[in-house]
Amino acid sequence: MTTLDLMSLAWMGAIFLLCGEIGALLSLRNPVRVFIVSTIAEIGYVLIGLGIGGAAGETGAYMHVTYQLVMRGLVLISGWYLIRRTASIWLTDLAGSGQRMPLAATLFGFGMFSVMGLSPFKGSYSKFLILYAAIEQGQWAIAAVGTIASIVAAVYYLILIQRICFEKSEHRVKLQPAPSLAMPLAILLAVVAAVISVFPAPVEQMAAGLAGYASLEGLPEFESPWALLVLVPYIGAFAIYGVGRVSARLRDLAAVALAIASVAMVALDTGLDPTSKLFALLFSGIIAVMVIYSVGYMAKEEWANRYYFFTFLMLGSMLGLTTAHEFGNFYVYWELMTWTSYFLVIHEQTQKALKAGLVYFVMCAGGAYLMHYGMLVAHAEIGSFEFTALAQGFGSIAPLAGLVIVTAVFLGFAVKAGMVPFHAWLPLAHPQAPSSVSGPLSGILTKAGLFGIVKILFGVFGVSAVARATGNGIDLHTVLIALGCITLLYGEIRALFEKELKRMLAFSTLAQVGEITAILGLGTALATDAALLHVLNHAVMKTLLFYAAGAFIMRTGLRQISDLAGLGKKMPFTAGVYALGSVALMGLPPFSGFISKFLMIYAAAQAGQYAVATVLLLGGIIGVVYYTRVIGVLFYHPSAAAISEVKEAPVTMRLAMGILAAAIVFGGLLPTYQLGLIMPIGDQLAASAGLAPAVLPDLVMQWPLSAGLVMVGAIVVLLLGRFSVAWAGRLAVLTLLLAVAAVLAQPDRYDTLSFCFALLIAGVGALNMLHTTAYLAHSHAQPRFYFAFLVMIAGLLGMTAATDLFNFFAFWELMSAWALWAAIVHEETAVARREGFKYFLFNTIGASLLFLGVTMVAAQSGTFLLAALGDALATLPAATIAPAIVLVFLGMVMKAAQLPIRIDYQMHPAAAPTPVSGYISAVLLKSGPWGVLKLFVAFGGATVFAKLGGTVAGQPVLLYAISIIAGITIVYAGVMAVIQNSIKMVLIYSTVSQLGYVLLALSLGTTLGVAGGLLHFVNHMLLKDTLFLVAGAIMVNSHATMLDELGGLGRKMPLTFGLFLFSGLSLAGVPPLNGFSSKWMIFEASFQSGHWLLGAMAMIGSLFTLAAVLKFAHAAFMGTPNPRSESAREAPVAMLIPMGVLSLGSLALGLFPGLALVPIAAIMSDLGMTPIAATLTGPLPGLDGWSPMLLSVLVLVFGLILLPWLRLGRKAGVVRSNAHVCGVGDLSDGQTRLGANSLFETPDKAIHGLLPKGIGSGTQA
Amino acid sequence: MSTQLTTLLAVFLFPGGLFALVLGLSLKGLDRRVAARLQGRIGPPLAQPFFDLVKLGFKRTMVPATASQPVFLGAPLVGVVSMLVAVALVPVSGLYSPDPMLGNLIVLLYLLMVPAIVLMIAGSASTSPYGALGFSREMTLMLAYEAPIVLAVLAVALRTGMGQGGVITFSLTDIIAYQRSHGMFLLDPVMWPALAAFALFFPANLGIIPFDIPEAETEVLEGPLLEYSGPALGLFKVMSALKAVVVLSLGIALFMPLPFDGIWGLVGWLVQLAVLMEIGVTVVRLSMGRMRIDQAFGFFLKWPLLLAIASVVTVTIVA
Repeated sequence: MTTLDLMSLAWMGAIFLLCGEIGALLSLRNPVRVFIVSTIAEIGYVLIGLGIGGAAGETGAYMHVTYQLVMRGLVLISGWYLIRRTASIWLTDLAGSGQRMPLAATLFGFGMFSVMGLSPFKGSYSKFLILYAAIEQGQWAIAAVGTIASIVAAVYYLILIQRICFEKSEHRVKLQPAPSLAMPLAILLAVVAAVISVFPAPVEQMAAGLAGYASLEGLPEFESPWALLVLVPYIGAFAIYGVGRVSARLRDLAAVALAIASVAMVALDTGLDPTSKLFALLFSGIIAVMVIYSVGYMAKEEWANRYYFFTFLMLGSMLGLTTAHEFGNFYVYWELMTWTSYFLVIHEQTQKALKAGLVYFVMCAGGAYLMHYGMLVAHAEIGSFEFTALAQGFGSIAPLAGLVIVTAVFLGFAVKAGMVPFHAWLPLAHPQAPSSVSGPLSGILTKAGLFGIVKILFGVFGVSAVARATGNGIDLHTVLIALGCITLLYGEIRALFEKELKRMLAFSTLAQVGEITAILGLGTALATDAALLHVLNHAVMKTLLFYAAGAFIMRTGLRQISDLAGLGKKMPFTAGVYALGSVALMGLPPFSGFISKFLMIYAAAQAGQYAVATVLLLGGIIGVVYYTRVIGVLFYHPSAAAISEVKEAPVTMRLAMGILAAAIVFGGLLPTYQLGLIMPIGDQLAASAGLAPAVLPDLVMQWPLSAGLVMVGAIVVLLLGRFSVAWAGRLAVLTLLLAVAAVLAQPDRYDTLSFCFALLIAGVGALNMLHTTAYLAHSHAQPRFYFAFLVMIAGLLGMTAATDLFNFFAFWELMSAWALWAAIVHEETAVARREGFKYFLFNTIGASLLFLGVTMVAAQSGTFLLAALGDALATLPAATIAPAIVLVFLGMVMKAAQLPIRIDYQMHPAAAPTPVSGYISAVLLKSGPWGVLKLFVAFGGATVFAKLGGTVAGQPVLLYAISIIAGITIVYAGVMAVIQNSIKMVLIYSTVSQLGYVLLALSLGTTLGVAGGLLHFVNHMLLKDTLFLVAGAIMVNSHATMLDELGGLGRKMPLTFGLFLFSGLSLAGVPPLNGFSSKWMIFEASFQSGHWLLGAMAMIGSLFTLAAVLKFAHAAFMGTPNPRSESAREAPVAMLIPMGVLSLGSLALGLFPGLALVPIAAIMSDLGMTPIAATLTGPLPGLDGWSPMLLSVLVLVFGLILLPWLRLGRKAGVVRSNAHVCGVGDLSDGQTRLGANSLFETPDKAIHGLLPKGIGSGTQA
Repeated sequence: MSTQLTTLLAVFLFPGGLFALVLGLSLKGLDRRVAARLQGRIGPPLAQPFFDLVKLGFKRTMVPATASQPVFLGAPLVGVVSMLVAVALVPVSGLYSPDPMLGNLIVLLYLLMVPAIVLMIAGSASTSPYGALGFSREMTLMLAYEAPIVLAVLAVALRTGMGQGGVITFSLTDIIAYQRSHGMFLLDPVMWPALAAFALFFPANLGIIPFDIPEAETEVLEGPLLEYSGPALGLFKVMSALKAVVVLSLGIALFMPLPFDGIWGLVGWLVQLAVLMEIGVTVVRLSMGRMRIDQAFGFFLKWPLLLAIASVVTVTIVA
């Protein structure tokens, strides 16, 4: 025969094969026909082999015949046995045979998998040879047809296997007798099949002989011996299966021991390259946790032996992937990994699980076949499977071949990683698997795909070579970024709408994989480091979440998110670590997820890919929504009746979750260890691609003593609270007092501005915490609240001590994210949850802008150090740095709720416990103005800012814009405060207005402005906090939320009333009180800066504060008494002390503004500004400085002179009479009361008329 | 004399303190007398406000049973004190320039709010529904007239500042000095809108017809004052008398300081006060009816505000 004829034979074989497989697929109802047709189809393979010819082709053909004879023999005998006993050839009757005849069905399944080319004893060698031969001969198309046929075959094989072996039988079948010889024969064939799979050499020798070749020379080496790292778990799997048949306890022990031994082996192994080492550690570590978890989870499970068996096979094959140094083994392990994990997915053998398993197996095996094809092409081109040879040869490969290889291999990886559009299996398989498997499935199996990309595409082929090979218009990096972003958004959006917990987590995995893929696609060393760090962190976090979800499902049997309401109280540990994992996954500090997210965003910013960073942040915002929702359901919803008897998860499961949680905390506080593993990979990559090595910022959060102390205190308080709520409260107060001392003890950790702020943070914190202990005395879950409150304060303290952008942002997030949310939704009411969530989301958006801005600034300036930023930014063109700086300042302004559009979305909600509302208003929101001032200076002050769009009347444009925003906000928020009727909304809106004053003054940037702003910063802190604490004292007394529920409290609570009136009037700007002093400076500064319109607005704004304060005073304390207030009592000492101390502070500052102005002058010279001229007892500085003290003294003297006049009439006595009501005697107090909602009727109407619809309805309680 | 001593004398004796007290009560007496004549009555003697005060001083003090006594009785005291201090902040052309340590125009504007604040607190603290209504109306009125007056004063400050080289000034002494060298703003057409705004402001601020809405006797029985009697009511009378002096003096300083010094300055100022009192207060309150609160609110946010804005705009343009 001529060569041409031979080739047509091969083509005939290929077509025959494909048609046969499709025919078999169409005959599914009749397994006998399937068997016959598929057996005939196999002839196609033989024809291909013979037709292609050559040593490989012919040897492959003969080998294939041998393999198929043995394996199909096994299928034939066991299948015949099943049919005979069932007495039917139809699939519907045969379904469920696994239950009736376990041994025969197992042998049948084994045979089927072997025929397909898969089993625990490796795959069939002959198909390799034949396809290899085809590609070697340049017949890529024939090989492609063969590959497609294999994928088609996988579908029907798997359906048959699932239905016959795994499906649960629906109807009873009376089994018929069958010859006793069949089973021994089948077992014998099974053993033979196993042996020739493990040791193909003798068969190969024989086949070569048949083909007429004396030696195996000229045949490729497909595989190399398995490493010890693989063999130990692999053989261990068989051993554990055996042990399990004797004793379950012993098996569990052995399994844990083996898993830990595997981790140790990996850790001690020195032969792995950095990428492999990293992934090997990850794989073995997560599997070890999985085994520990499974001891509890699988305790009552029927098929536990099988479960452990496949678990360790999977571990072995995954470790195998990392040990592989050539494509042959890599592929075998890859297939084994799919195969073993498939068994874990269908472990529960429900219809849904089987369906999920089918999709999973077919997609992943199909992907693997494609990868296989690519590998053979690579071999044909380069002549080796060895990675080292490929690495050398790939650079000079033909572009088309390179494209085929990269595409095929990439598709294999992409399917495994679950990238959209190859993701269909993931949301099916992950939730359907037992929860103990779902975790690793999401955590590490998807990561195997990413491992492939990093190891093979980046490592072996090399970034530059891949770029060259795919250079024809398609760039791998672009593909990765595009697929990553699509996967990210798809996953997040699907997760957002998901109602079932595990499915939500699965979609979230998609999103996270997308995130990592997109960052990998950036292609820089830094990006690779970042992506790999997230690979590790996500593996841990997602496994933890699945494990916690598994514990919920195990204990309650419920899978919907809404079913978990209130479970946090029944399973505090599990729900607690779930919350921890969620917070980490949201990318919030101080957990590992934050570190990797930060690094990823930074990497994107550094690569100039702002769009990628934006998509990541957008995804993160969506993630916040659905993750918070679950935590809210767990902890802040009333518990459902169905879970009243639920117990905490078993101890081994808690241990497993505890390990993961600890890893998350460790990875957040000290990422150095992980980075040490990862950085060599990035560096290697950079070296091979000729890029600069990654320069990582220091990602260890620098906790000042104060913040560390408060954080530790928070945890101790939480734990102590389980025993004594009262002592937990005392400890919380003590912690904050110690924090004041800690700030004082470390003055060098702070600049002067931050030092003063830190003192106020801790000091006011201690006062508010003291108030809280009384406020929450008769509440619930106090320790949880103290904890959240303390964490917030720890964040603030850490933020003030930050010397670089990383620490600044990390502590900013600690202060303004989860702890803040937890504190706000503490009351567990629907309103608290809704409003708290709204605020949290708004904060997340603000923080995202800040996040992007901060990383952009760092990337552009090349430094994170605040001290070095100014110089670095000064050298850059304005257009480059402007967007980053604008983003940063937008974040700050949003923190202070300054944007004059829908302020109701920006404000902290009123439903929070009042002392924390006060703290947020008085202290926490000040981080906005503080940040503006601090970063303004750090970014290079006026010289840098003047470059950004120039100046208006000497003021940089950006600051000019902030001035205007602040000025409008003063009036807008002030007006809004006037029309509120809820006790706290009045105060909250007024806060926004007052923050406007601070921000306006600071943004002026003049000496008088900054000094006035800082003075108001302090004054407002003291005054507004007092007002809030008063509100708290009232609310806890009366349980009211609206002003109209109060009335006439002044006589019952005279001290509280006095403090309120003093602070309120001072805040409204009544001279000579302290609130007026600072405003006076702000007015003067505005006018002097030429902002006379803003100055006028600021002056008018204080009238609105006055109206709001008086309305509050009237409705709550004065006016016609409300019968509801009859039982009111003066506030307890624990409330009076903080309110009194704050008021005394205000009084002192009113008399001696120098007490604050002297430190402010020091702050200003520290910041490099012209300091304000101030003395401790002197007048206010300014053009015509006036002395509040002089005015106060005059007032006092005049008052003392006039007092006797007032007492003159006392000779005639004081008469208490009823108020005059024109003789009407039958009106109740309620009828004569002028309530808060009708007090300012005319202005109310006018204001409502001016506002857009939907704003200012004042319904928010 | 040292400056401290001068300041103390100014604050406690002349032109503030005792002198202002006598002056304020005398102007009240004049107002009542002239009003009576205009209505065809004989009217009380000029010293009648003094007699009233003494009488009230020896009356019993009545405090509503449900009121918070310290606040109820403290309010008028604070009100009088605030006005006594405020008087000392207003310079008299050619006669008296206050020590800058006492405060500038901004401080004065905020001090001027105090009487209204104490009236509101008094009304609210009395627990009387009429007091509460008075409070409500007073606040409404304030919300309406505050923006125009701030802008009108700003116009004056801007005009002075720009005339002096661009730095806006809130020193009344500077403002007077500027007018003495450049002519009073009363004769400066650019300042007429501001003057008009101010003219509309002061009856509202002083609580006289047509803007005596918070204390309307025939509607809310004097509102916040309803429950007051004896010395406390006396204090409110004094407060109102002093406030008239402060507001009228402020108007004089802002728009029409006389170019005389010494004794002629004093005489001129007193004549100005008396004339303004008769024209601006007595005649106005006799010749008009009272507005409703919503009318007044709308009115102030219309004409005076427009005038004030116009004044600021014209001042800026002219400069």
